[in-house]
Order: sequence, then C-alpha cells, then structure tokens
Amino acid sequence: MLMNGVPVGGLSHPLEWMVKTMPDIAVLIKRVPDTIAKIIVVDGTIDLSGVKWIISPYDEYAIESALQHREATGGSVTAITLGNADCDKTLKDAKALGCDELVRLWQDGWESLDSNGVQSILAGAISDLGSEIVYCGKAAADTNAGSTGPGVAEKLGWASISNVVSVSFEEGGVEALVPVAGGQAKVGINFPCLLTIDKGPNEPRRPNVRGIMMARKAEVNLKGGQAPAATISVISKSTPPAKPPGKTYHGAENVPAVVQALRDEANVI
Amino acid sequence: MAYEGLDFYDVESLLSEEEVMIRDMVRDWVEDEVLPKIEHACREGIFPDEWRVALGEMGVLGAPLKGYGCPGLSYMAYGLICQELERGDSGLRSFASVQGSLAMYPIWEFGNEEQKEKYLPKMASGEWVGCFGLTEPDYGSNPGDMITKAEDMGDHYLLNGAKMWITNGTIADVAIVWAKLDGVIKGFIVEKDDEGFSAPEMTGKHSLKASVTSELVFQDCKIPKDRMLPDVKGLKGPFSCLNNARYGISWGAIGAAQACFHSAKEYALSRIQFDHPIASYQLVQNKLAWMLREITKAQLLAYHLGLKKDDSTWFAEQISLAKMNNVDMALEIARMARDIHGANGILDEYCIMRHMANLESVKTYEGTHDIHNLIIGKYITGIQAFTRKLD
Ligand SMILES: Cc1cc2nc3c(=O)[nH]c(=O)nc-3n(C[C@H](O)[C@H](O)[C@H](O)COP(=O)(O)OP(=O)(O)OC[C@H]3O[C@@H](n4cnc5c(N)ncnc54)[C@H](O)[C@@H]3O)c2cc1C
Repeated sequence: MLMNGVPVGGLSHPLEWMVKTMPDIAVLIKRVPDTIAKIIVVDGTIDLSGVKWIISPYDEYAIESALQHREATGGSVTAITLGNADCDKTLKDAKALGCDELVRLWQDGWESLDSNGVQSILAGAISDLGSEIVYCGKAAADTNAGSTGPGVAEKLGWASISNVVSVSFEEGGVEALVPVAGGQAKVGINFPCLLTIDKGPNEPRRPNVRGIMMARKAEVNLKGGQAPAATISVISKSTPPAKPPGKTYHGAENVPAVVQALRDEANVI
Repeated sequence: MAYEGLDFYDVESLLSEEEVMIRDMVRDWVEDEVLPKIEHACREGIFPDEWRVALGEMGVLGAPLKGYGCPGLSYMAYGLICQELERGDSGLRSFASVQGSLAMYPIWEFGNEEQKEKYLPKMASGEWVGCFGLTEPDYGSNPGDMITKAEDMGDHYLLNGAKMWITNGTIADVAIVWAKLDGVIKGFIVEKDDEGFSAPEMTGKHSLKASVTSELVFQDCKIPKDRMLPDVKGLKGPFSCLNNARYGISWGAIGAAQACFHSAKEYALSRIQFDHPIASYQLVQNKLAWMLREITKAQLLAYHLGLKKDDSTWFAEQISLAKMNNVDMALEIARMARDIHGANGILDEYCIMRHMANLESVKTYEGTHDIHNLIIGKYITGIQAFTRKLD
C-alpha cells in the first residue's frame, strides 16, 4: 500500500530526483532532568540546580528511528529543540549520536510558553526547514503530556501516528508498527508526516568518541519566531498528596489478612 | 541511589565539554553493560569478548594517539576514560591500558610506517588485541636483567625465553615483546600464529579475575625481520610505554575508590545499628570524611598531571608519585569501605571486596609501590637505592 516511486512534482534533472528522494528528516528533542535525578521541592517550587540534564528518553528512541531512516534511504537528520542556551549541550549530545544539523529555537520571552505556543514554534521551524518527516518521543519525561507530537502535526496539517514502536522506511513514506488492542497494527503513511516514538525493539545507540569530536565542532543554528499569545494560565500549583502510611501486620496468624489485603485492596494478586 | 562521582572541588568545571561527554559516555556504558555482568565475569574468570567489541566501537582504545584510526584525544580525556573503566573493574581498565598504552603506543611511537598502518587501525577498532611482554618469572622489578633474547639469523630473528604475568596474553593477536638482541633490549612484534610462540593462561588468581593473565613462551620462535621496532633500544622503550599506562592508572584508581566510597556512603546511611544509621556515628563519619579527603587530593593530583601530560611538561617521577599515591589511597579506601559494610562487605553483592583484591595487583604491576618510592627517593637524593653489592 505504500507509494514506491511516488512522483515529486516538477523534476527535470535525474540528479535532482536523487536528491529529492533523500528525505529531510527532523527529530524533536527536549532537555529534561535525568529520570533518576533526586528532585528537591523548596517552598512549592522545584529546585533544579545541581540536577543532571539528559535528552528525554523517548526522544532518544526518536533519534534512533531518524538515524535508521537516514541509514536506510539517505537524507539528513536535523535535531530541533526549543530552549535556552543550556540546550546547546542537548543538541550536541544528539550530534554525538549522529544527527547532521542542529537547530535551537529561542528568543526572549519564551520562558513561559504554553504547549500551544511550543507546538506553533516547532511547526513553524519545521516548515521553514522543509522537513518531510518528523520524529519525536511519545511524551517528554518531565511533563509526560504527550501533546507535542500530535499538536505539531495538527498545526502543520500533516498526518501523524502516535506510539510507534518500529518503523520501516520506504521511498516517499514509512510503515509504522503501533500497538493496538490485542496486538500490533502496521500503518503506512506518506510524507509529509510525523511519528511519535515509543520504546521499541531498537535500543538507542550510544555515542562514540568520533561522534563526540564532531559534536565539539558542530554549530547550533539559533532561530527565533512568532509565538501565539498564551491560551493557558496556571492557576495554582500543589505537591502530590502525601502517601497514606503503610499497614503493618505481625505474626503468622495474620497471613490470611495480608493475603486478603493484597488481593482486595492492593489488587496485586 | 544512582551513581554520581564525588567531585568535592568541582574538578568537572575545569574539564572541556568534550572531556565531560567522553567521561559520561564511558560512565553510562559501564553502568549499563559492565556492572550487571562483572561479578559473573569474575566468578568465571573471563574477560567478556563483548567488552572488547564495545570499547572498539566507542573508540576509546589508544585514545590519546593520533592518526591510524586513533582519535587523538587529550591525555585528560584518556585519564577520565581510565577512571570510568576502573569504576567498573580494574580488569577492564587493565585491558584498555595494555591495549592502548602498552601495545599500541610503542608501535605508534617507535614503529615504522608499515607497522603503524598494519596494526594500529585494527587495534584501535578492537578487532586485534595487543599485549605487552616485559616481566619474566625471575625478573619483575628489574626487567633490565631479562633473559629473553633475540638472535639475528640473517633473514629472520629467533626469539627464545619466557614472559610471565602478561595481561591479555592468551587473547592477544599481537604481542609487543621486549628481548635482548646482542645484549641490548629491543621491541619485537610477535603475532599469535608465529611458529614457536604460545601463550598459556595463568589460573588461580584471587585478583583481577575478569582479566586474562598469561605466560608467553618463545621456543625458537621465528620472527620476520620487519617485526622489530626500529626506533628504540634499551629500557627507554618499555619505560616510555609504562609512563603512559601509569598515568592512566593514577586516574583509574580514583574510579575504584569512588565505587567503594559510593557504596560505603549508601550502606552507612541505610544500615541501622543501635537504633540509628551507622552514618550517624562519629567513627563512621570520620572514615567517610577521610575517604572524601583522599579522593579529592587524588583527583587534583591526577588533574594537574593531566595538564602536564597535555602540554608535555611532565617528568617521570611525577607519574610515579601519582600512580603510587592514588593506588595506595584506593586500596586503603577499599579496606575502609569493607569495614563499614561489616560482613556484607565480603559478599559479591557489593563491589568492595572485588576492588580491594584487584587493587592489590594494581599496587604491584606497572612498578610496585616501593619501586616508585625508590624512583622518588633517587629524585630527592640523587642516589639510586635499587641495588647495591652485598658482601
Ligand atoms: C595481574 C597482573 C598483571 C600483570 N600484567 C603485566 C603485563 O601485562 N606485562 C608485564 O610485563 N608485566 C605484567 N605484570 C607484572 C608486574 O609488572 C610485576 O609483577 C611487577 O613489576 C613486580 O614484579 P614481581 O612480581 O616479580 O615482584 P618483585 O620484583 O619480585 O618484587 C617483590 C617485592 O619486592 C620489592 N622490591 C623489589 N625490588 C626492590 C628493591 N630494590 N628495593 C626494595 N624493594 C624491592 C617489591 O616492591 C615487592 O614488594 C602483571 C602483574 C600482575 C599481578
């Protein structure tokens, strides 16, 4: 059902065809606190000083898919992030893994963008770049919202598939494997399109020294843009309710009570 | 809790972004791929082959060498690589030290063009493993008196003799062997299939169990003429290799010490005796404070030596001091950490006893602790005290 040999409009030269069949691939990545970092809350706000920052784990799977796409069909992979100068390191980590170009989107006043704003800026950058396929993680490890991918696709007017666990690459599109009730579905999709990536069989690659040396020399393209007015306002923040204290049982005579509690209250057996 | 290297004086802020990325790359690999498998490797007495492949893929073998497939990283980066590998296990760091500093380096520094092109790219990628044969059964601290000899037979050399305690020996494709030709020490490249060469593994070690240690036996071993390293003679050859490896060990020891410190700290905080965590008792805090103090000093020593290596202003006695001091502190920290862990400290559920046993080897190889004292003693007094005439 895929579109092998889908014509790309107005080609006159065979070489141009070669170039055009190699897709411009983009991957959206986000800098988040290490998922094993100790999060300290001071007066209701999170103190992130001293926290190690990483590429959000699902985004690592997205990078892996993007790199495999390039390896299968040629083309180039642009890593895009939205964030302040600290995020250059995040992009360089992506470069060390093998991404070709690095784009950081930022300008003053973007500190408190809502998700609508973030999606608009990312969508604008993707259409400026002329990307044909975009990969991103299914959700970021900090907010866990999962709205960015579908939101960006919506703004671009593109088709998208969420929670993809594996991708096979065709000319002019891809086939994506997604979990569905009772199994997995294989879905074909034409360019331009966006995929949000879940953990799958392809473990993200590790960097190597060569990649890290390339990253040192890599340039980050800084771009600004137009952000829509905020549509969301935060009314209040609160910490999660304290966990109720656990129950303690003593003595063998309480075994039936423990079993019952595990079955009926905790629902674990 | 997740491992975070102790960095009391913020040495990280002195490193380049590239150096930090390389350190983290190795740290993550050790965390994910080495630590879950190390105890099994030790119990079986094997060096898992997948680690050879991974080290090659990461590109850390022969890290500070440039060209011929080697990345030409800073000596600082090389030190950090050693530190992270040895946080995993001294045997793992030994593999990388021997490959890079003791086998690749002499080819890179003293070899001819053909030798460099033939061996270095395959060794940098990990495809070929190297070993370094200097020590003999009867000549350890005084390798200058070695017996192994080479004879010029016109169209080839003939090697005879035996080396002992050779890391990677049995798994090596290439051995750098130091032997006397007409009474002068020269370096020879021996390949695993050379006639008259064998490398049986030594067994029964209680230390560096995840590292292969072997004898190298040469019985009329025939070596083509183009396998001698042309540009070096005398002890300068092996000693210049040892300088690089010893430098790496001074960083590696910090990794082992960090692993023990981390475990001791976590254990002390969670172990309750007399109703309170043992970390709340002054005697235990004193031990932890001593560990932090020694690790911090060792880090500054290694860091400063790294700077000197990178701008070529070092001298050999400085490396002796760092190797001796840092291994000594790591071994003391391992022993102290064992004490803090109580009986649990002897189990392989914790890394302590493994590091402690490993560090006994590290204290001895690459110049024993006291040989380094003698090197420094000679530096201070101008009098060599290695040997004298006994009546
Ligand atoms: C696990 C392991 C791996 C090794 N890998 C390699 C390798 O890859 N290649 C290689 O060539 N070698 C290797 N070695 C050998 C190592 O370098 C030697 O063991 C080391 O040089 C010490 O030699 P020795 O064991 O013969 O001890 P000895 O030299 O016999 O020393 C015994 C003791 O005497 C002391 N001593 C010696 N001379 C003096 C002196 N003049 N004054 C005061 N004290 C003195 C020493 O400090 C030591 O305490 C390895 C060793 C081990 C344990």
